[in-house]
Amino acid sequence: MDKYLDARFERVERALASLIDSITKYNPSEKLGEELIAADRELAAGLQALETHHNNYARIQQLRAETAALDAQTKDIIGALWAMRKEVKNTHTTVYAASGPKYQFTTAELLDYARRISSTTLPPQAAIIGAADGAAATAGAAGTSPDADDAARSSQGGQTPTASFGATPVTAGTPMGGGGQAPPTPAANGETQTQTQSQTTVTSTFTELPMHIKPAVNLGEGAVFYPWPVEEKIRMGALSTVDYLSTHGIDPRGYDPEEEEQRKKEEEQARKEAEERARQEREEAERRMHEERERMARERERSRAEAERRSSVATGFVQAPAKAQFTFLDGLDDDDDDD
Amino acid sequence: MASGPMSVDSSTKEPPAEPGANQDEPKYGGYTRFELELEFVQSLGNPQYLNHLATRKFLTDPRFVAYLKYLLYWARPPYLKYLTYPGPTLKHLQLLQEERFRENIISPELVHQLIAEGMKAGVEWHQETETKP
Repeated sequence: MDKYLDARFERVERALASLIDSITKYNPSEKLGEELIAADRELAAGLQALETHHNNYARIQQLRAETAALDAQTKDIIGALWAMRKEVKNTHTTVYAASGPKYQFTTAELLDYARRISSTTLPPQAAIIGAADGAAATAGAAGTSPDADDAARSSQGGQTPTASFGATPVTAGTPMGGGGQAPPTPAANGETQTQTQSQTTVTSTFTELPMHIKPAVNLGEGAVFYPWPVEEKIRMGALSTVDYLSTHGIDPRGYDPEEEEQRKKEEEQARKEAEERARQEREEAERRMHEERERMARERERSRAEAERRSSVATGFVQAPAKAQFTFLDGLDDDDDDD
Repeated sequence: MASGPMSVDSSTKEPPAEPGANQDEPKYGGYTRFELELEFVQSLGNPQYLNHLATRKFLTDPRFVAYLKYLLYWARPPYLKYLTYPGPTLKHLQLLQEERFRENIISPELVHQLIAEGMKAGVEWHQETETKP
Protein backbone atom coordinates (compact mmCIF):
# COMPACT_ATOMS: atom_id res chain seq x y z
CA MET A 1 0.00 0.00 0.00
CA ASP A 2 2.89 2.27 0.87
CA LYS A 3 4.56 1.74 -2.52
CA TYR A 4 1.28 2.34 -4.23
CA LEU A 5 0.92 5.72 -2.55
CA ASP A 6 4.61 6.59 -2.85
CA ALA A 7 4.44 6.16 -6.65
CA ARG A 8 1.52 8.55 -6.77
CA PHE A 9 3.23 11.13 -4.56
CA GLU A 10 6.35 10.88 -6.69
CA ARG A 11 4.34 11.46 -9.82
CA VAL A 12 2.69 14.51 -8.31
CA GLU A 13 6.09 15.84 -7.14
CA ARG A 14 7.64 15.26 -10.53
CA ALA A 15 4.74 16.91 -12.31
CA LEU A 16 4.91 19.82 -9.88
CA ALA A 17 8.67 20.16 -10.24
CA SER A 18 8.55 20.15 -14.04
CA LEU A 19 5.74 22.70 -13.94
CA ILE A 20 7.73 24.93 -11.57
CA ASP A 21 10.76 24.49 -13.79
CA SER A 22 8.77 25.50 -16.78
CA ILE A 23 7.37 28.50 -14.90
CA THR A 24 10.82 29.59 -13.69
CA LYS A 25 12.00 29.41 -17.31
CA TYR A 26 9.07 31.68 -18.12
CA ASN A 27 7.81 29.03 -20.46
CA PRO A 28 4.80 27.51 -18.80
CA SER A 29 3.46 24.53 -20.65
CA GLU A 30 -0.22 23.62 -20.59
CA LYS A 31 0.67 20.01 -20.95
CA LEU A 32 2.63 19.99 -17.75
CA GLY A 33 -0.27 21.61 -15.91
CA GLU A 34 -2.63 18.90 -17.10
CA GLU A 35 -0.10 16.29 -16.06
CA LEU A 36 -0.12 17.75 -12.58
CA ILE A 37 -3.93 17.68 -12.43
CA ALA A 38 -4.00 14.06 -13.57
CA ALA A 39 -1.35 13.16 -11.01
CA ASP A 40 -3.32 14.91 -8.31
CA ARG A 41 -6.46 12.98 -9.23
CA GLU A 42 -4.52 9.75 -9.09
CA LEU A 43 -3.30 10.68 -5.66
CA ALA A 44 -6.84 11.44 -4.53
CA ALA A 45 -8.00 8.03 -5.79
CA GLY A 46 -5.05 6.45 -4.04
CA LEU A 47 -5.99 8.14 -0.80
CA GLN A 48 -9.53 6.84 -1.23
CA ALA A 49 -8.14 3.37 -1.65
CA LEU A 50 -6.04 3.89 1.46
CA GLU A 51 -9.12 4.78 3.42
CA THR A 52 -10.90 1.62 2.29
CA HIS A 53 -7.80 -0.34 3.13
CA HIS A 54 -7.73 1.10 6.60
CA ASN A 55 -11.38 0.36 7.11
CA ASN A 56 -10.90 -3.22 5.98
CA TYR A 57 -7.92 -3.58 8.19
CA ALA A 58 -9.86 -2.25 11.15
CA ARG A 59 -12.65 -4.71 10.40
CA ILE A 60 -10.20 -7.57 10.22
CA GLN A 61 -8.74 -6.50 13.52
CA GLN A 62 -12.18 -6.32 15.05
CA LEU A 63 -13.12 -9.77 13.76
CA ARG A 64 -9.91 -11.19 15.10
CA ALA A 65 -10.62 -9.73 18.48
CA GLU A 66 -14.11 -11.17 18.36
CA THR A 67 -12.81 -14.61 17.44
CA ALA A 68 -10.34 -14.47 20.25
CA ALA A 69 -13.08 -13.45 22.68
CA LEU A 70 -15.34 -16.27 21.49
CA ASP A 71 -12.49 -18.73 21.72
CA ALA A 72 -11.86 -17.62 25.24
CA GLN A 73 -15.55 -17.95 26.04
CA THR A 74 -15.71 -21.44 24.57
CA LYS A 75 -12.70 -22.41 26.56
CA ASP A 76 -14.28 -20.98 29.66
CA ILE A 77 -17.49 -22.90 29.07
CA ILE A 78 -15.71 -26.13 28.39
CA GLY A 79 -13.56 -25.57 31.42
CA ALA A 80 -16.61 -24.83 33.52
CA LEU A 81 -18.34 -27.92 32.19
CA TRP A 82 -15.35 -30.02 32.98
CA ALA A 83 -15.19 -28.59 36.46
CA MET A 84 -18.92 -29.08 36.87
CA ARG A 85 -18.75 -32.65 35.69
CA LYS A 86 -15.97 -33.35 38.10
CA GLU A 87 -17.98 -31.75 40.84
CA VAL A 88 -21.11 -33.71 39.97
CA LYS A 89 -19.15 -36.92 39.85
CA ASN A 90 -17.67 -36.21 43.22
CA THR A 91 -20.99 -35.23 44.80
CA HIS A 92 -22.55 -37.88 46.97
CA THR A 93 -26.30 -38.15 46.33
CA THR A 94 -28.50 -38.06 49.37
CA VAL A 95 -30.61 -41.18 49.63
CA TYR A 96 -34.05 -40.24 50.90
CA ALA A 97 -36.06 -42.80 52.75
CA ALA A 98 -38.94 -43.96 50.54
CA SER A 99 -42.22 -42.29 51.47
CA GLY A 100 -44.09 -45.48 50.72
CA PRO A 101 -43.52 -48.87 49.22
CA LYS A 102 -42.54 -48.86 45.58
CA TYR A 103 -44.12 -51.20 43.08
CA GLN A 104 -42.89 -52.38 39.74
CA PHE A 105 -45.04 -51.90 36.68
CA THR A 106 -44.55 -51.94 32.95
CA THR A 107 -45.26 -49.17 30.48
CA ALA A 108 -47.89 -51.32 28.82
CA GLU A 109 -49.71 -51.72 32.11
CA LEU A 110 -49.53 -48.02 32.76
CA LEU A 111 -50.88 -47.13 29.31
CA ASP A 112 -53.57 -49.73 29.63
CA TYR A 113 -54.66 -48.27 32.93
CA ALA A 114 -54.55 -44.74 31.54
CA ARG A 115 -56.78 -45.76 28.67
CA ARG A 116 -59.17 -47.52 31.01
CA ILE A 117 -59.63 -44.60 33.39
CA SER A 118 -59.61 -41.89 30.72
CA SER A 119 -63.39 -41.79 30.48
CA THR A 120 -63.84 -41.43 34.21
CA THR A 121 -61.02 -39.03 34.98
CA LEU A 122 -60.84 -36.79 31.93
CA PRO A 123 -63.87 -34.55 31.56
CA PRO A 124 -65.37 -34.01 28.10
CA GLN A 125 -64.60 -30.68 26.47
CA ALA A 126 -68.07 -29.28 27.04
CA ALA A 127 -67.92 -30.06 30.71
CA ILE A 128 -64.46 -28.57 31.18
CA ILE A 129 -65.53 -25.01 30.57
CA GLY A 130 -68.84 -25.48 32.29
CA ALA A 131 -67.37 -27.24 35.26
CA ALA A 132 -64.55 -24.75 35.55
CA ASP A 133 -67.09 -21.97 35.83
CA GLY A 134 -69.31 -24.13 37.94
CA ALA A 135 -66.52 -25.16 40.24
CA ALA A 136 -65.45 -21.58 40.66
CA ALA A 137 -69.02 -20.57 41.27
CA THR A 138 -69.69 -23.38 43.69
CA ALA A 139 -66.40 -22.77 45.42
CA GLY A 140 -67.37 -19.15 45.91
CA ALA A 141 -70.86 -20.05 46.93
CA ALA A 142 -69.71 -22.78 49.27
CA GLY A 143 -67.51 -20.34 51.04
CA THR A 144 -70.28 -17.85 51.64
CA SER A 145 -73.57 -19.67 51.71
CA PRO A 146 -74.02 -23.26 50.68
CA ASP A 147 -77.77 -22.80 50.77
CA ALA A 148 -77.63 -20.38 47.88
CA ASP A 149 -75.63 -22.89 45.91
CA ASP A 150 -78.12 -25.54 46.78
CA ALA A 151 -80.96 -23.34 45.62
CA ALA A 152 -79.22 -22.65 42.34
CA ARG A 153 -78.80 -26.34 41.80
CA SER A 154 -82.41 -27.03 42.62
CA SER A 155 -83.57 -24.45 40.14
CA GLN A 156 -81.99 -26.41 37.32
CA GLY A 157 -84.57 -29.13 37.59
CA GLY A 158 -83.90 -32.76 36.77
CA GLN A 159 -82.90 -33.52 40.30
CA THR A 160 -83.30 -36.95 41.73
CA PRO A 161 -85.20 -37.90 44.82
CA THR A 162 -82.80 -37.76 47.70
CA ALA A 163 -84.88 -38.93 50.57
CA SER A 164 -82.26 -41.32 51.84
CA PHE A 165 -79.17 -39.94 50.22
CA GLY A 166 -78.36 -36.83 52.15
CA ALA A 167 -79.40 -33.28 51.71
CA THR A 168 -77.77 -32.29 48.46
CA PRO A 169 -79.53 -33.05 45.22
CA VAL A 170 -77.41 -34.44 42.43
CA THR A 171 -77.85 -32.51 39.22
CA ALA A 172 -77.81 -35.33 36.81
CA GLY A 173 -80.07 -34.10 34.05
CA THR A 174 -79.64 -31.25 31.67
CA PRO A 175 -80.75 -27.84 32.87
CA MET A 176 -83.69 -27.79 30.53
CA GLY A 177 -86.17 -25.90 32.59
CA GLY A 178 -83.88 -23.71 34.59
CA GLY A 179 -82.17 -21.63 31.96
CA GLY A 180 -78.59 -20.77 31.15
CA GLN A 181 -77.83 -18.88 34.33
CA ALA A 182 -77.04 -22.10 36.12
CA PRO A 183 -73.43 -22.32 37.32
CA PRO A 184 -72.24 -25.19 35.11
CA THR A 185 -72.71 -23.40 31.80
CA PRO A 186 -71.45 -25.47 28.89
CA ALA A 187 -69.42 -24.08 26.05
CA ALA A 188 -72.12 -24.02 23.41
CA ASN A 189 -74.53 -22.36 25.76
CA GLY A 190 -72.03 -19.62 26.44
CA GLU A 191 -71.48 -19.08 22.74
CA THR A 192 -75.13 -18.78 21.97
CA GLN A 193 -75.51 -16.40 24.84
CA THR A 194 -72.84 -14.09 23.51
CA GLN A 195 -74.34 -14.40 20.05
CA THR A 196 -77.70 -13.29 21.25
CA GLN A 197 -76.19 -10.49 23.23
CA SER A 198 -74.49 -9.16 20.14
CA GLN A 199 -77.60 -9.55 18.04
CA THR A 200 -80.20 -8.19 20.34
CA THR A 201 -79.29 -4.71 19.20
CA VAL A 202 -79.88 -5.59 15.55
CA THR A 203 -82.68 -8.12 15.46
CA SER A 204 -84.59 -10.25 17.85
CA THR A 205 -83.20 -13.58 19.06
CA PHE A 206 -84.03 -15.65 16.02
CA THR A 207 -80.79 -17.64 16.13
CA GLU A 208 -81.38 -18.79 19.68
CA LEU A 209 -82.62 -22.35 19.64
CA PRO A 210 -85.56 -23.22 21.81
CA MET A 211 -84.51 -24.65 25.14
CA HIS A 212 -85.91 -28.10 24.45
CA ILE A 213 -84.01 -28.52 21.17
CA LYS A 214 -80.61 -27.50 22.44
CA PRO A 215 -79.71 -30.85 24.04
CA ALA A 216 -80.62 -32.59 20.78
CA VAL A 217 -78.15 -30.67 18.65
CA ASN A 218 -75.43 -30.55 21.26
CA LEU A 219 -74.92 -33.67 23.29
CA GLY A 220 -72.58 -31.85 25.62
CA GLU A 221 -75.34 -29.45 26.58
CA GLY A 222 -75.53 -29.19 30.30
CA ALA A 223 -73.01 -31.95 30.79
CA VAL A 224 -71.61 -31.96 34.30
CA PHE A 225 -68.53 -33.98 35.01
CA TYR A 226 -68.21 -35.80 38.29
CA PRO A 227 -64.88 -37.44 39.05
CA TRP A 228 -66.65 -40.06 41.16
CA PRO A 229 -69.50 -42.52 40.57
CA VAL A 230 -72.78 -40.65 40.56
CA GLU A 231 -75.73 -41.64 42.68
CA GLU A 232 -77.56 -43.41 39.84
CA LYS A 233 -74.57 -45.64 39.28
CA ILE A 234 -74.41 -46.55 42.93
CA ARG A 235 -78.13 -47.20 43.00
CA MET A 236 -77.90 -49.53 40.00
CA GLY A 237 -74.83 -51.41 41.20
CA ALA A 238 -74.11 -54.73 42.77
CA LEU A 239 -74.42 -53.43 46.31
CA SER A 240 -77.98 -52.36 45.71
CA THR A 241 -78.71 -55.84 44.37
CA VAL A 242 -77.38 -57.34 47.56
CA ASP A 243 -79.33 -54.81 49.56
CA TYR A 244 -82.49 -55.62 47.64
CA LEU A 245 -82.03 -59.32 48.26
CA SER A 246 -81.43 -58.91 51.97
CA THR A 247 -84.41 -56.59 52.40
CA HIS A 248 -86.53 -59.21 50.66
CA GLY A 249 -85.46 -61.87 53.09
CA ILE A 250 -83.03 -63.67 50.80
CA ASP A 251 -79.56 -64.41 52.05
CA PRO A 252 -77.32 -63.06 49.28
CA ARG A 253 -74.59 -65.51 50.19
CA GLY A 254 -74.43 -68.12 47.48
CA TYR A 255 -77.48 -66.67 45.80
CA ASP A 256 -76.97 -65.93 42.15
CA PRO A 257 -79.89 -64.23 40.42
CA GLU A 258 -78.75 -65.60 37.08
CA GLU A 259 -78.61 -69.14 38.39
CA GLU A 260 -81.96 -68.62 40.08
CA GLU A 261 -83.35 -67.40 36.82
CA GLN A 262 -81.93 -70.41 35.04
CA ARG A 263 -83.34 -72.74 37.67
CA LYS A 264 -86.76 -71.10 37.41
CA LYS A 265 -86.69 -71.40 33.66
CA GLU A 266 -85.84 -75.06 33.89
CA GLU A 267 -88.64 -75.63 36.37
CA GLU A 268 -91.01 -73.79 34.12
CA GLN A 269 -89.87 -75.89 31.22
CA ALA A 270 -90.38 -79.11 33.16
CA ARG A 271 -93.79 -77.99 34.30
CA LYS A 272 -94.78 -77.15 30.73
CA GLU A 273 -93.57 -80.50 29.50
CA ALA A 274 -95.55 -82.30 32.19
CA GLU A 275 -98.63 -80.31 31.25
CA GLU A 276 -98.13 -81.12 27.64
CA ARG A 277 -97.81 -84.80 28.42
CA ALA A 278 -100.94 -84.75 30.56
CA ARG A 279 -102.82 -82.96 27.84
CA GLN A 280 -101.74 -85.51 25.26
CA GLU A 281 -102.77 -88.35 27.52
CA ARG A 282 -106.11 -86.75 28.14
CA GLU A 283 -106.64 -86.24 24.45
CA GLU A 284 -105.68 -89.82 23.81
CA ALA A 285 -108.17 -91.04 26.39
CA GLU A 286 -110.86 -88.81 24.95
CA ARG A 287 -110.16 -90.05 21.51
CA ARG A 288 -110.38 -93.64 22.66
CA MET A 289 -113.64 -93.00 24.46
CA HIS A 290 -115.01 -91.32 21.40
CA GLU A 291 -114.06 -94.25 19.23
CA GLU A 292 -115.66 -96.60 21.72
CA ARG A 293 -118.86 -94.64 21.64
CA GLU A 294 -118.90 -94.58 17.90
CA ARG A 295 -118.30 -98.27 17.79
CA MET A 296 -121.15 -98.84 20.17
CA ALA A 297 -123.42 -96.58 18.21
CA ARG A 298 -122.62 -98.46 15.06
CA GLU A 299 -123.31 -101.78 16.77
CA ARG A 300 -126.57 -100.50 18.13
CA GLU A 301 -127.57 -99.33 14.67
CA ARG A 302 -126.72 -102.66 13.23
CA SER A 303 -128.66 -104.58 15.83
CA ARG A 304 -131.63 -102.34 15.39
CA ALA A 305 -131.58 -102.93 11.67
CA GLU A 306 -131.33 -106.66 12.37
CA ALA A 307 -134.30 -106.46 14.71
CA GLU A 308 -136.33 -104.57 12.16
CA ARG A 309 -135.46 -107.08 9.51
CA ARG A 310 -136.48 -109.93 11.74
CA SER A 311 -139.72 -108.31 12.75
CA SER A 312 -140.57 -107.62 9.11
CA VAL A 313 -139.82 -111.22 8.19
CA ALA A 314 -141.79 -112.60 11.12
CA THR A 315 -144.69 -110.17 10.53
CA GLY A 316 -145.58 -109.18 14.04
CA PHE A 317 -143.93 -112.15 15.61
CA VAL A 318 -141.37 -110.70 17.87
CA GLN A 319 -139.16 -112.89 19.93
CA ALA A 320 -138.89 -111.80 23.46
CA PRO A 321 -135.34 -113.10 24.09
CA ALA A 322 -133.94 -110.97 21.21
CA LYS A 323 -134.56 -107.92 23.38
CA ALA A 324 -132.61 -109.30 26.27
CA GLN A 325 -129.18 -108.90 24.68
CA PHE A 326 -129.49 -105.09 24.45
CA THR A 327 -130.02 -104.51 28.09
CA PHE A 328 -128.68 -100.95 28.26
CA LEU A 329 -130.73 -99.84 25.28
CA ASP A 330 -133.97 -101.01 26.74
CA GLY A 331 -135.75 -97.71 26.41
CA LEU A 332 -135.07 -97.42 22.72
CA ASP A 333 -136.01 -100.98 22.06
CA ASP A 334 -139.19 -100.55 23.97
CA ASP A 335 -140.09 -97.59 21.82
CA ASP A 336 -139.33 -99.61 18.74
CA ASP A 337 -141.44 -102.41 20.01
CA ASP A 338 -144.32 -100.15 20.73
CA ASP A 339 -144.45 -98.87 17.20
CA MET B 1 -80.48 -48.13 48.78
CA ALA B 2 -77.19 -49.90 48.88
CA SER B 3 -76.20 -50.11 52.47
CA GLY B 4 -74.02 -52.97 51.38
CA PRO B 5 -70.91 -53.49 53.36
CA MET B 6 -72.44 -54.84 56.53
CA SER B 7 -74.44 -57.43 54.67
CA VAL B 8 -71.34 -58.84 53.07
CA ASP B 9 -69.04 -61.04 55.02
CA SER B 10 -66.34 -58.55 55.91
CA SER B 11 -64.84 -60.56 58.70
CA THR B 12 -62.30 -62.03 56.31
CA LYS B 13 -59.06 -60.19 56.70
CA GLU B 14 -57.57 -61.36 53.45
CA PRO B 15 -58.34 -59.25 50.36
CA PRO B 16 -60.44 -61.06 47.80
CA ALA B 17 -58.86 -62.88 44.92
CA GLU B 18 -58.41 -61.07 41.64
CA PRO B 19 -61.02 -61.79 38.97
CA GLY B 20 -60.37 -64.92 37.01
CA ALA B 21 -58.14 -66.36 39.70
CA ASN B 22 -60.69 -68.64 41.25
CA GLN B 23 -63.82 -69.82 39.52
CA ASP B 24 -65.32 -71.33 42.67
CA GLU B 25 -65.40 -67.96 44.44
CA PRO B 26 -68.57 -67.75 46.53
CA LYS B 27 -71.01 -65.22 45.17
CA TYR B 28 -73.21 -62.75 46.96
CA GLY B 29 -76.30 -61.97 44.98
CA GLY B 30 -74.43 -63.00 41.84
CA TYR B 31 -71.35 -60.91 42.53
CA THR B 32 -67.98 -61.86 43.92
CA ARG B 33 -66.54 -60.20 47.01
CA PHE B 34 -64.00 -58.54 44.75
CA GLU B 35 -66.73 -56.92 42.64
CA LEU B 36 -68.72 -55.78 45.64
CA GLU B 37 -65.76 -54.32 47.47
CA LEU B 38 -64.48 -52.62 44.34
CA GLU B 39 -67.83 -51.00 43.82
CA PHE B 40 -68.08 -49.96 47.44
CA VAL B 41 -64.60 -48.49 47.66
CA GLN B 42 -65.26 -46.48 44.50
CA SER B 43 -68.60 -45.31 45.81
CA LEU B 44 -66.64 -43.79 48.69
CA GLY B 45 -65.33 -41.32 46.13
CA ASN B 46 -68.75 -39.70 46.09
CA PRO B 47 -68.95 -37.15 48.95
CA GLN B 48 -72.72 -37.47 49.05
CA TYR B 49 -72.42 -41.19 49.59
CA LEU B 50 -70.05 -40.52 52.48
CA ASN B 51 -72.62 -38.15 53.91
CA HIS B 52 -75.27 -40.79 53.42
CA LEU B 53 -73.17 -43.35 55.30
CA ALA B 54 -72.64 -40.82 58.07
CA THR B 55 -76.34 -40.13 58.42
CA ARG B 56 -76.98 -43.87 58.63
CA LYS B 57 -74.51 -43.97 61.55
CA PHE B 58 -72.17 -46.37 59.77
CA LEU B 59 -69.09 -44.24 60.27
CA THR B 60 -69.30 -44.47 64.05
CA ASP B 61 -69.58 -48.24 64.06
CA PRO B 62 -66.22 -49.71 65.09
CA ARG B 63 -66.84 -52.70 62.85
CA PHE B 64 -67.28 -50.37 59.91
CA VAL B 65 -64.12 -48.47 60.82
CA ALA B 66 -62.26 -51.77 60.86
CA TYR B 67 -63.74 -52.53 57.46
CA LEU B 68 -62.51 -49.17 56.15
CA LYS B 69 -59.05 -50.01 57.41
CA TYR B 70 -59.26 -53.38 55.73
CA LEU B 71 -60.24 -51.66 52.46
CA LEU B 72 -56.86 -49.94 52.35
CA TYR B 73 -55.63 -52.89 50.32
CA TRP B 74 -57.08 -51.07 47.31
CA ALA B 75 -54.20 -48.62 47.53
CA ARG B 76 -51.66 -51.22 46.49
CA PRO B 77 -51.19 -53.56 43.55
CA PRO B 78 -52.61 -55.62 42.08
CA TYR B 79 -55.87 -54.06 43.24
CA LEU B 80 -54.87 -50.46 42.51
CA LYS B 81 -55.23 -50.85 38.77
CA TYR B 82 -58.90 -51.77 39.03
CA LEU B 83 -59.94 -48.38 40.37
CA THR B 84 -61.55 -46.32 37.65
CA TYR B 85 -61.91 -43.24 39.86
CA PRO B 86 -58.49 -43.41 41.51
CA GLY B 87 -58.22 -39.80 42.70
CA PRO B 88 -61.31 -39.26 44.84
CA THR B 89 -61.48 -42.93 45.84
CA LEU B 90 -58.03 -43.06 47.40
CA LYS B 91 -58.32 -39.56 48.82
CA HIS B 92 -61.55 -40.32 50.61
CA LEU B 93 -60.37 -43.75 51.67
CA GLN B 94 -57.38 -42.09 53.28
CA LEU B 95 -59.50 -39.36 54.86
CA LEU B 96 -61.93 -41.93 56.22
CA GLN B 97 -59.15 -43.40 58.33
CA GLU B 98 -59.22 -40.15 60.33
CA GLU B 99 -61.76 -40.06 63.10
CA ARG B 100 -62.27 -36.33 62.75
CA PHE B 101 -63.21 -36.65 59.09
CA ARG B 102 -65.65 -39.46 59.88
CA GLU B 103 -67.31 -37.19 62.41
CA ASN B 104 -67.35 -34.08 60.24
CA ILE B 105 -68.57 -35.56 56.96
CA ILE B 106 -72.09 -35.50 58.31
CA SER B 107 -72.13 -31.71 57.85
CA PRO B 108 -73.47 -30.55 54.45
CA GLU B 109 -70.88 -27.75 54.37
CA LEU B 110 -68.03 -30.23 54.23
CA VAL B 111 -69.85 -32.25 51.58
CA HIS B 112 -70.30 -29.12 49.48
CA GLN B 113 -66.70 -28.21 49.93
CA LEU B 114 -65.56 -31.68 48.92
CA ILE B 115 -67.81 -31.61 45.85
CA ALA B 116 -66.55 -28.19 44.78
CA GLU B 117 -62.91 -29.12 45.34
CA GLY B 118 -63.30 -32.50 43.70
CA MET B 119 -64.97 -31.11 40.59
CA LYS B 120 -62.44 -28.32 40.33
CA ALA B 121 -59.56 -30.76 40.67
CA GLY B 122 -61.21 -33.16 38.22
CA VAL B 123 -61.15 -30.48 35.55
CA GLU B 124 -57.94 -28.69 36.38
CA TRP B 125 -55.52 -31.53 36.91
CA HIS B 126 -54.81 -31.96 33.21
CA GLN B 127 -55.05 -28.28 32.34
CA GLU B 128 -52.11 -27.61 34.63
CA THR B 129 -49.98 -30.06 32.72
CA GLU B 130 -51.08 -28.52 29.44
CA THR B 131 -50.03 -25.01 30.39
CA LYS B 132 -46.59 -26.17 31.42
CA PRO B 133 -44.09 -25.86 28.56
